[in-house]
Amino acid sequence: MRRILLGLAMAVSVSTAALAADRWVHIKVEDGGVNGEVVRVNVPLSLAEKVLPAINTKELHGGKVKCNDTKIEEVDLRAILDAVRAAPDNEFVTVESKHNHVRVAKSAGNLLVKVQESKKSEKVKHGTVDVSIPFSVIDALLSGAKDELDVLAAVRALGTIGDTVLVTVNDENSKVRIWVDSRNTTE
Amino acid sequence: MPTGPVMVAGGAGTLALAAVVVGGAFVYDMGVVRVSVQSKKPDGEHIRLIVPAVAAPIAMQFAPKRELQKAIEEAGPYLPAIKIALEELAKCPDGPFVQVTNRHEKVNIAKQGDALVIDVDDEGETVHVSVPLKAVDVVISQLQSLPPPGREERAERPSSPDGPAL
Repeated sequence: MRRILLGLAMAVSVSTAALAADRWVHIKVEDGGVNGEVVRVNVPLSLAEKVLPAINTKELHGGKVKCNDTKIEEVDLRAILDAVRAAPDNEFVTVESKHNHVRVAKSAGNLLVKVQESKKSEKVKHGTVDVSIPFSVIDALLSGAKDELDVLAAVRALGTIGDTVLVTVNDENSKVRIWVDSRNTTE
Repeated sequence: MPTGPVMVAGGAGTLALAAVVVGGAFVYDMGVVRVSVQSKKPDGEHIRLIVPAVAAPIAMQFAPKRELQKAIEEAGPYLPAIKIALEELAKCPDGPFVQVTNRHEKVNIAKQGDALVIDVDDEGETVHVSVPLKAVDVVISQLQSLPPPGREERAERPSSPDGPAL
């Protein structure tokens, strides 16, 4: 009996560990054009985590992207992030113009960016962009040197969060959705 | 009890049998590459190709060196990443990785068992390719073991009697 219980406990712990490890990032792009193209990409985070350090190009090295833009270096992103994190849930920036409505807010540990196209333009008509990034992921992304983004750390952090929709783009021509969950298919 | 030539022949036979068994096991372990191209024309052909995956690294031995060097030059920096990706893919559950659908064609890249499967269905034909992950891994290893571009050319160039030009 003891053996059976021990076996059951081991099976449960192994399957739980496997479930925790199997996190997938999904990208779905629907083009509303003449071709009506739909692209679905499913990538296991574990694969991205292992592959990233092995890619060494000019920009990406050891899972980190070098930002040589002096404008980025001049802005202390970490200080801004610390200030935002310490603040209560709120709307921080609202920009309303003739064509756009931009909102940057903090809600339930996530940084939210919402962009709404309020008037028809030539390229994009009535488009909306919603970005929701957990602070843990942003922290990880900015955990490297001042002039670099630690993509690998961000991917690791994505693996620890629950099922989340990260990016949604909707306009008359296309729909884009990027999300993380534990399924290996988009549907 | 057999003695002399009979014993030698028996030993050789056992060795040959063992070699066949080991070789067969290796071929079986590597799997097969399947290619199917079905034309959608009324009199269209259906080409089916089933090749033991073990043939892929062997075929590489006969590939033109210049072309292989070109492949290394282009894909070289990504080969370690591809190798790691293959190892991780082997651990992944079966399922689609990339799906592209439009009015004219459907493309599906998925993992099925130990193989990477590519399906293309367009207006003209249906293509199905299945490649064992192990075979791709062996090919990548072979590419990695080749000398980097340039080094071989220098090695093959006959040396000047006056020594290397500086």
